[in-house]
Parts: sequence; C-alpha cells; structure tokens
Amino acid sequence: MVKAEIVNGPIDFFPSEDSRQQDGAELIFNGRVRATEHGENITALEYEQYEGMAEAELTQLAEEAMNKFPIHDLFCKHRIGKVDVGETSLHVSIWSKHRREGLDAMDWFILELKKRVPIWKWAILQNGSRIPSECNH
Amino acid sequence: MIKITVKCFSQVRYALGIDILNLEFESGTSTSQLEKFIRGKANGKLDGISLRIALNQKYVPDETELQDGDEVAFIPPVQGG
Repeated sequence: MVKAEIVNGPIDFFPSEDSRQQDGAELIFNGRVRATEHGENITALEYEQYEGMAEAELTQLAEEAMNKFPIHDLFCKHRIGKVDVGETSLHVSIWSKHRREGLDAMDWFILELKKRVPIWKWAILQNGSRIPSECNH
Repeated sequence: MIKITVKCFSQVRYALGIDILNLEFESGTSTSQLEKFIRGKANGKLDGISLRIALNQKYVPDETELQDGDEVAFIPPVQGG
C-alpha cells in the first residue's frame, strides 16, 4: 500500500506496528532541518510546493518504488511552509520482508524525490533574510 | 489564439517577480517557444538555470504543442527532502 501526503504543519508520524507477521523490516527515515546552511546559522527552512503536482508526483514515485522493489508498504509525508531547525520535513516509512530491499527502496525513493517532486526551499538566516538552500545530499 | 496560464515558482518567480502570468499566443505555439519567451522576460536572470516543463501538472517533453486553457510551469531544479 502507498500513502503519500504533503502537509502544511508539523508531521504526524505514521505509527509503528507490532502486529505485522510477514514484515521483518520496518524502516523509518526522518529528514530534519540542520542548524547551518553554507556555513551560516539558520533558524528554519521554508518549503514551497507546486500545489497538486507535488502530491501527485510523490504518490507516483511511491507507486514506482513499490513496483521496482519487493516491499509491502511505503508511507510518506513531506512538510511545506516554515520548518524550524530540528524539526522533521520528510517522513518515510517502509515495510518489507527483509532489510536489504527496504534500504534500497528508501535510498532510491529519496534520491528520486530530490530530482522530481516540485518542492523548493529557502534557508532563513538569524537576521531574518532568506538564501536559496542547495543541499543535494 | 490560445490562452495559457504560467505558474511561477522558486527561481522563476524570483526572476519574473510574479506568481502567475496569463498570456495569449498563436495556435500551434510549443512549450519550447513559451520557454524562450519566459527566459526573454527574465532579462538574463534565468541564464544557466535548467527548467523542466510541466503541462497541466505533468512533466512533458520540450516540444509539446500548447492548447487553449493549458496550465504551464517551468520547473527549476527541485529541492525537496
């Protein structure tokens, strides 16, 4: 199953489960906002989206990951708007029989997300000014 | 004539100073011709910036013919995550 959502506000994480009997791996990735950007201290990142297309692309990408890798579920939430340092901007949860396919799917999904999903971000400096954020890691 | 809406994001919005453009073109105009027009309007501020084309919220090849009522966005490098 796929769940993909763009949210404007703090992310409500997908719950962990103890009831699954066929999935040996539950992978959770939380992308969080670092305190520095290009060596400068920042207070937050501000994300903007192409409304409609961003969630559609995220959903399509999740479905492609499900077809490409032998995983059972991929759940994803991406936050937009102002995200303070330390907070989560991207939350991904993948369930699979073994860890390897889950790890491979997670890596591929996040790499493709950074190439295709129309979301952009600016770093907000401590003096309130904004600079482009260019992290591609 | 056809009517086109161009939605502007990130560097494109910064370069043009506007969120949405409502434009009219001759029938048969392509997305690449529209991109040339947009880059010209940006007065060099989009030089060196690669743009992918989204037509009605889906990525399309460069040479796609525009239709009346289309929504177009020129997508600068994305930065999600």
